Amino acid sequence: MSPSWNRTSHVMVGAATALAVLTACGGSGAQDEKSAAPGSGGKPVSITFWGWAKGSKEVVDAFNASQKNIRVKYEEIPSGNAGGYAKISNAVKAGNAPDLVSIEYPMLPEFVSQGSVQDISGHLTDDVKKKFLPQAVELTTLGGKNWAVPFDAAPQAFYYRKDLFKKYGVEVPGTWDEFREAAEKVKKADKKARIGTFFPDDPSTFQAMAWQAGARWFEAEGDTWKVDTTDPATTKVSAYWQGLLDDGLVHNNASFSPEWTNSLKSGGTIGYLGASWGAGVLTGTLPEQSGKWAVAPMPSWDGKPASGMLGGSTFAVTKDSEKTEAAVEFAQWMTTTEDGVEARIASGTSSAFPAAAELRPAAKAAFDAGYFGGQDIYQVFEDAGASIAPDWAWGPSTGTTNTVMKDQFGKVSDGGATIADAVKAGHEATVSELKKRGLTVEG
Amino acid sequence: MKARTRTHAAAGVLLTPFFVLFTLVMVVPVGYAVWLSLFTEKQSGLGFGGTRTVFSGLANYTAALGDPAFREGFVVLLGYCVLYIPLMIGGALALALLLDSTLARARRFFQLALFLPHAVPGIIAALIWVYLYTPQLSPVVDAMEAGGVGFDFFAPEGALPSVINIALWEWLGYNMVIFYAALQAVDRSVLEAATVDGAGAWRTAFSIKVPLIRASVVMVALFTVIGSLQLFTEPLIINKGTGSSVTSTWTPNMYAYTAAFDRGDYGLAAAASVLLALTAALLSFAVTRFTGRKGKKA
Repeated sequence: MSPSWNRTSHVMVGAATALAVLTACGGSGAQDEKSAAPGSGGKPVSITFWGWAKGSKEVVDAFNASQKNIRVKYEEIPSGNAGGYAKISNAVKAGNAPDLVSIEYPMLPEFVSQGSVQDISGHLTDDVKKKFLPQAVELTTLGGKNWAVPFDAAPQAFYYRKDLFKKYGVEVPGTWDEFREAAEKVKKADKKARIGTFFPDDPSTFQAMAWQAGARWFEAEGDTWKVDTTDPATTKVSAYWQGLLDDGLVHNNASFSPEWTNSLKSGGTIGYLGASWGAGVLTGTLPEQSGKWAVAPMPSWDGKPASGMLGGSTFAVTKDSEKTEAAVEFAQWMTTTEDGVEARIASGTSSAFPAAAELRPAAKAAFDAGYFGGQDIYQVFEDAGASIAPDWAWGPSTGTTNTVMKDQFGKVSDGGATIADAVKAGHEATVSELKKRGLTVEG
Repeated sequence: MKARTRTHAAAGVLLTPFFVLFTLVMVVPVGYAVWLSLFTEKQSGLGFGGTRTVFSGLANYTAALGDPAFREGFVVLLGYCVLYIPLMIGGALALALLLDSTLARARRFFQLALFLPHAVPGIIAALIWVYLYTPQLSPVVDAMEAGGVGFDFFAPEGALPSVINIALWEWLGYNMVIFYAALQAVDRSVLEAATVDGAGAWRTAFSIKVPLIRASVVMVALFTVIGSLQLFTEPLIINKGTGSSVTSTWTPNMYAYTAAFDRGDYGLAAAASVLLALTAALLSFAVTRFTGRKGKKA
């Protein structure tokens, strides 16, 4: 009863097409084969690494070239929300997972609670931990144990088309009130243009804005989870974005969708509320708009710098890996050495902002700021990074929370639901999921 | 006696590969799904101490049935079947009859042209259609808006027709070929006799040809019903690629997929799959019984 059983007789017809597609997609894996050949001296430990962050392949190549004890084989997988997480958890379930995987902060507790990753406390010294932004360490420490090596802090940032802002006479907004005024001006100047986009497919953007406003959705007290999404900060952010959508001041498009990209290309979208890594996305997606973009701190509620974290990668060792030491060593090389950071950023596709403060000068030096007209974008990230609100925690069921929120966000565009409805639905699904797992939960 | 033993042995040898494969790819996975559906992963403390698998009886089944999202999936499926199946059977039959009629020219060309969409893998087809449905990107949507007939293909009322359209595009030609092949096998002398008796093209088509290929129609209906229940690829692509009213639990199959791979709840996913399989089995049974009885009367 497989879905395609009555198609089998036509396999031959489809095979040619399928084959063409497969060969077109399968490029990246095969190329790494060569660089993973055994080194000359001794017997190198061979580990496999799954990730999708920009510049990962370059980092792996640089690491393999730098020493002979560990051979890393990199396999690019789809980004987490686009199926990468499903692939990882499936592989762990099936017992054929790679040694090291990329997991973003919001999903790490989910993987830990499913028992998919290893406790690596014994391999992370205090000296190493001290190198990172404290919030990044906090988010990877769950139940008093370290579960992942943090790579980047992902402070929020506002990217905008400085040429069009100037043309339309719009000031760069410092507060959310000013952002709304700016949005109105943009729409007035060009009735097809909008200042930014609401991403219905990506609850983490909304969560970062709630975080920025001071919300704390998850709090662990003793053995009890406290879930709170009805706090004033979240309510304020929901109402604000609902207002922007109701008045048609922002687009409602899926993130990184062809629709979004197309709108950026045509000047229909002239701003992007993203995070530090977004600079690399713009550089890669819109090379023809080089020199037209600038970065500003995220607008805040009171005009004082404030930021949440949007995404951000960590590296975790899977449950069954027997090469924990090698995997952690490689993860530390990627996250705490200048060579590791330089290799990634020199790829020209990454604008990662390292969680390890001492690496930021190296990152800045490696990043070609020409796209931003020479603007010191790492200084913007530095300031934003310093303003990340502490004490935010992610719950252990982000998969459920975000799937449900995403489904409801999808209905917002035609009035089938409001943002507040989506938050409420996400909250309820989270509470019932935690109860189903046998956890104590309040909220 | 000897001959019979030999026949038995031959039957055994010839049937073994089938039963081995059937066991490996059918019985074992289904059994595993049923087994999985009886367990739940439990955690303690804050949930960071790992999981333990606990026998939970039918709890996963009651959880799935108690989840409005799962039940709504069946409502969507019902709407899909009610719209899609008549369109598919009617459309494929009409095209096959047209091709088989004396009026048709360039038969081979149309046969191939109509079948061609089926050669495109479902995922690719869905991606192409999502592109054609997306406002500001699609020439079709732009043209429609310019002509004053704007239509949101991803809105709640637009989603079902959008998905049905993709499925029709993919499968119409395939089913048409089945019907056409059956029509080709109809004895020409019967048709000549009908013509001699004064039956026109319409009368011949509906009173002679269609009843004669009834078996094919029943088979296609059965396949279409089962295929409909497994609706998955097309809506999933729409769900992943757009922020639309096609939720991640839009059909029961998607519900199972989301439960397993986005939420990590394999027990719930297994229970949902088993429930869907039972529904499919019951429906197939109903379709074969219903059409079989009708056949005896006629």
